[in-house]
Amino acid sequence: MTDNNDNTTAETDGGTGIVAPDDETPTWSERKARKTGLSRLTYEYFERSRREDQDLRTESDYVERDVLGFPTWPHETVRNLSIASFFVGMIFFLSATLPPHIGPPANPSSTPAIILPDWYLYWSFGLLKLSPVNPELSILGGQKLMADRTYGVLANVVVVGFIAMVPFLNKGSARRPVEQPFWAAVGVGGVVFAFTISVLAVQNLVPMNIDLLFDLTFLLPIVAGIVTYAVLKTMREGYMYDLNRRYYRLRPPR
Amino acid sequence: MSLERKDDYDHNAWLQEKDLSPVETTFLTALIWMDKRLRIVDYLEILESLYYRVNLQMPKSHTEQYNLDNKFWYWYPLYTLGLFSTLSYIVAAVSGALLGFYYSPATTGDPTTAYTQIEFIMTELQFGFFLRSLHRWSAQVMVAAVFLHMLRVYFTGSYKEPRELNWILGIILISLTMGFGYTGYLLPWDQLAFWAGQIGVEMALSVPLIGEWAAQLVFGGFTLSQATLQRMYILHVFLLPFIVTTLIAIHIGIVWVQGIAEPH
Repeated sequence: MTDNNDNTTAETDGGTGIVAPDDETPTWSERKARKTGLSRLTYEYFERSRREDQDLRTESDYVERDVLGFPTWPHETVRNLSIASFFVGMIFFLSATLPPHIGPPANPSSTPAIILPDWYLYWSFGLLKLSPVNPELSILGGQKLMADRTYGVLANVVVVGFIAMVPFLNKGSARRPVEQPFWAAVGVGGVVFAFTISVLAVQNLVPMNIDLLFDLTFLLPIVAGIVTYAVLKTMREGYMYDLNRRYYRLRPPR
Repeated sequence: MSLERKDDYDHNAWLQEKDLSPVETTFLTALIWMDKRLRIVDYLEILESLYYRVNLQMPKSHTEQYNLDNKFWYWYPLYTLGLFSTLSYIVAAVSGALLGFYYSPATTGDPTTAYTQIEFIMTELQFGFFLRSLHRWSAQVMVAAVFLHMLRVYFTGSYKEPRELNWILGIILISLTMGFGYTGYLLPWDQLAFWAGQIGVEMALSVPLIGEWAAQLVFGGFTLSQATLQRMYILHVFLLPFIVTTLIAIHIGIVWVQGIAEPH
């Protein structure tokens, strides 16, 4: 066999393009430490936050203790399995005792007196019946800006959009309803509104004056919200007292 | 030199000297036999870490740390609603797959094939009545649990930083769940289903600008027909399951990464 050392372009990698690392090949940490641009920024940010975390860990006085809770097996696992089988059993029990009904077959030529979606869509169905509050603009000569149906669909979008915005509107570290009476009141008002708007959706099944029902749909949630706010504000006194008691015990107020 | 194969590590002598009980001997012999063929020893590390994982002690939870235990236990059911909705989703998936063996989304015939298939499931099929009941009830329970789950998250402020994205993902999931319910509601093709579908088409049509396009896309036309039922079926058994399962996995994954927001 002849040794072709002088031929520097000889393929030594078997044609795969993979070559063994030499001194010039960047190491993985060098590759990670990007030199320029966004990748450099990303790298620096992650390094910083890692250092920050480490500092926090060193500063922390939290002591991780060895045996503090129940073991995963069997305690936690058995508890979770029993909860799960209880729930599944409940579903089986419900479906065995209250089987569903099937109505007459579809008939496009006869509209039934009662058209309803499933119960969980009543709120959405109710929002389609908001035509009395669809504003008539005098600038358009008493014309409505949009059709009643469009208005109803828009109402759906507004409701869902508002719920999606909640984390960006309500900030801060308050967690319990007593700590944030306003947002708890908004929540209770919302839940009550979900109920009343559902009742409005099935208005032809409710033995009540439609106008009265319509007014109650909007009044009840507001009343419920105000009551909640008042109750929580009152509870807050005692709650804050409990929170502050320790503080005042250390430094009694003058 | 003999041609007989030697046991390099002389397992038999080792077994002799250990003076094992019959159970232990059988176990070890079986283990060695399997190991010679499957190289179990290579996977021992995984088994070991599994063992330690199974025997983990749960770390002290927030409630324990702050001594909220005696006050907290009666709130516990509210904190398991997410599990409850996942479970009912699984029950609905299994029963739905079984129902899918018998249902066919066709509006041909009078009454339609879809309707007669539901009738067949309810009257002829062994356990069919129960199966449909189970599917329907697990769907109802899932929607109810998801609603209550959302209320729990709202009233305990668990949506706050850093969990805003998971809250929005949850809203997408609750909407898709209701979409699941709606498309399923239409499948029996009875009077209620047909006219609920009619309302759906009208709602889609009344969306400004993209209304007609949306109605065409989702309902396959401006009046209810075979196309509508077919689309509802595919949405219900193909598209939504993939999307919802993935999103549920991400939703739970984020909870896992961020930790449960326990009350303060």
